[in-house]
Amino acid sequence: MSGLLAAEGVKAYYSSSKGLVRAVDGVSVDIDPGDVLGIAGESGCGKSTLSNVLMMNIRPPLRFLEGKVLLDGKQDLAAMGREKVKTQAWGRVITLVPQSALNALVPTRKVGAFIKDVLRYHLKLNGREAWALAQKRFQELGLPVEALTKYPHQLSGGMRQRVVISVATLLNPKLLIVDEPTSALDVSTQKQVLKMLRHLRKEEIVGAVVSITHDIAILRQIATKIALMYGGKVVEVGPMEAILEGPLHPYAHSLIHSVVTPEPEVKDRGLSYIAGEPPDLLHPPEGCRFHPRCPHSLSICSREEPPLIGLGEDRFVACHLVPGRRPC
Amino acid sequence: MGNTRLVVSVALFLAVVLFGLVGRWAYPVDPVSRVGGRLQPPSWERPLGTDVQGRDVFAQLIHGTGTSLSIGITASAVAATIAIVVGVISGYRGGIMDDLLMASANVVLAFPVILLLLVVAVFVPVRSPMVVALLIGFTSWPGLARAIRSQIMSLKEREFVFLSRMAGWGGGRIGFADLLLNMMTYVFTSSVVLMSAAMLAEAGLSMIGVGVTKGTSLGVMLFWAQLSDAVRRGLFWWFIPPGGVLTIACASLLLLATALDQLFNPQLKER
Amino acid sequence: MVSKLALQGQTDPARIQAVYRNFMDEFGIGLPLWEQFTRFVTQLLRGDLGTSISMYPRKVTEILAIYLPWTVALLLPAILVSWVLGNYLGALLAWRRGTLLDKLVTPILLTVSRIPFYWFAMLMLFAFAVYLRFFPIGGTYSWGLTPSLTWGFVGNYLRHYTLPFLTWVVICLGGWAIGMRSMMIYELGSDYVLSADTLGLPQRKLLRYAFRSACLPQVTELGLNFGFMLGGSILLELVFNYRGMGIITFQALSTLDYPLIQGIFIVLAAAVILANLTVDFIYGLIDPRIRTGHLRR
Repeated sequence: MSGLLAAEGVKAYYSSSKGLVRAVDGVSVDIDPGDVLGIAGESGCGKSTLSNVLMMNIRPPLRFLEGKVLLDGKQDLAAMGREKVKTQAWGRVITLVPQSALNALVPTRKVGAFIKDVLRYHLKLNGREAWALAQKRFQELGLPVEALTKYPHQLSGGMRQRVVISVATLLNPKLLIVDEPTSALDVSTQKQVLKMLRHLRKEEIVGAVVSITHDIAILRQIATKIALMYGGKVVEVGPMEAILEGPLHPYAHSLIHSVVTPEPEVKDRGLSYIAGEPPDLLHPPEGCRFHPRCPHSLSICSREEPPLIGLGEDRFVACHLVPGRRPC
Repeated sequence: MGNTRLVVSVALFLAVVLFGLVGRWAYPVDPVSRVGGRLQPPSWERPLGTDVQGRDVFAQLIHGTGTSLSIGITASAVAATIAIVVGVISGYRGGIMDDLLMASANVVLAFPVILLLLVVAVFVPVRSPMVVALLIGFTSWPGLARAIRSQIMSLKEREFVFLSRMAGWGGGRIGFADLLLNMMTYVFTSSVVLMSAAMLAEAGLSMIGVGVTKGTSLGVMLFWAQLSDAVRRGLFWWFIPPGGVLTIACASLLLLATALDQLFNPQLKER
Repeated sequence: MVSKLALQGQTDPARIQAVYRNFMDEFGIGLPLWEQFTRFVTQLLRGDLGTSISMYPRKVTEILAIYLPWTVALLLPAILVSWVLGNYLGALLAWRRGTLLDKLVTPILLTVSRIPFYWFAMLMLFAFAVYLRFFPIGGTYSWGLTPSLTWGFVGNYLRHYTLPFLTWVVICLGGWAIGMRSMMIYELGSDYVLSADTLGLPQRKLLRYAFRSACLPQVTELGLNFGFMLGGSILLELVFNYRGMGIITFQALSTLDYPLIQGIFIVLAAAVILANLTVDFIYGLIDPRIRTGHLRR
């Protein structure tokens, strides 16, 4: 299990007045250089929490309970703790573009000034060098250089999103995590953002990308690997086409087929939807988390949790019905 | 935690109230007539001594507390009433009424109260506590009125109003029954704050001489103390108690307000 | 006025009548109302605010010109110092939120801000001037001295100045600190701070960003606060016997010196308006959203 970043059996819970919210409950993922891993799932399945956990951005009431987060197969970030990981890795090795990227820029500072702050702190550049670097990077990514002289509120939403992504990747981090990069944007701006992400990956400005989203359509456009989360657990992982063409886990199946894709087959197949509600992470269901909503559940599903089983070719599923049986 | 605050603040405030009310019977001395020599320090007979005109300071304190409290309550009640009427009409009716009422609210709000009171001081030379209370009440309503108005405007759109309307209720009934009940907690908490502000305002005004001129209040006591150079002459028994009682009263009221706030809005946890 | 003259022994009725008539003419009391108003406005335009009754024959403008500077000299520095110190203190408390420092200092600040400021001034005066004798017992400067730019005078003035100044600062400090603390806590939890944190920027950088944003509403507060302090200065100067606008206002009210009251009214109103305009102007300069004209309503 070498590779860029590997999470092994990670558990992170929120302590609330009502008990422990099991947001990330025994998750293992591998991210290799060159991957664009899309982590998908409904709201509340724990994917945003996972994105924070992967870089150890953990603050109370979130607590890291157990597991390892191995960087380059060697360093366990979990053992290092937040402060050390922050000083050593954030910005330079791993960066996160959070969900609220539209407000992620300091409102009282011009974009260029903020970038200078980041560059001066991390690379110890002086003002002029930092400015030159910022300009160069903006040009490379197709952003107007004038944006550097503006305040965040003077830029449009889409522009701001792209600026935030470019600021996050200024130091060529090995891993870029983006949380819902396109959810607040219109379609054409979405395309621009995705194009930028693809560019960053292709030009090797970043080593790998993790994209958290609930929008399957996005994954189709940029992901190389998909991991589906449900109820705090990973239920299926695999290469993008394999998962999108033939999802094995019943949840994955319902999710993918509940999305309208502009393809002729959809007309014949019709749209399905997933009945029921997402599980309560305070008191998750016994056995397989999905069993109350699963149309194919067996009696074993309500008793035992299905382990994540490898099916070869980097494909993993956690379901009692598989291997051997395809649900539809 | 929240409950401790509530209990402590209510207890303190009640203590002050009791002192002001019951004190008169427990210590039946007339605060306005001469009872002894001038500027006598505290003694067993006169717990807080006498002032520059030989009047019993402790009696003044008792009566003054009562007066200040009643001014506080009255002013707060007046301000709250005006605020509710203005806020509900403004918020529910909208339109021209709203514009007019809010404009007048802005005028009252922006006008430095000091200036208004200078004017009043000139034209109404003898001011009883009630007059002062009314004055303070008439100048304190805009803030609350605005808040009520915005709450009404947002509540207006909510489902239960729609349902009530479907049940055939008229506009006025909807306004006062549904919406008002919802806001009562907020209005109550605000009234508590208003009361404390009113008491402080009265004391400050009376101390300049622009407040109460008929009767005694905590502010009036400070006025006479200041005029007689009580601080410089070291007559601590005269000027310390009125301010002390005032501080306890207002501090407990404000503490009560925060406790009520926590009680009514448990979802807002800051600390 | 007339009674004052009477007290001074002038009891000859004819003479009193003559004095009375003189004053009537001077103050235009016998004239119809609209004429009085016109007189007032024309005088005002000429910069003449009338003549004081209680301090006859001095002109109102003269009186105000004497006492206003002393009040400003006390208020302005006090406001600014308490604002700056209060903001830094508030930011410090927000940063160290939940620690011993915060748990101790914040409740103290809260309690102090509940104390009526005039009473607090009395306590300060009593404690430091009467009891401990650190400072003189009030007054602007010692008896018998005349204002001049000598070291001797300035030193003496400063000795008298310190206690009221400190009292003002302590009174206002708490308010600013508590407000700033809340603003900072809010800003420190905002998206841009969390993002900057994720980019690895150190705590002090984050604090500086939050501070900059949190200061903006504090600037607006400054304008509002000025009006309050101006009103409060009446009481404070009274307690400390500091001869500024406060004392004059008190005197004008006690003697019902209408022209003087009017003059004070105008000056106070003008001062508040001026202060608010200045603050609005400054705010427009420092808030980048307004500066670039992009503030959407």
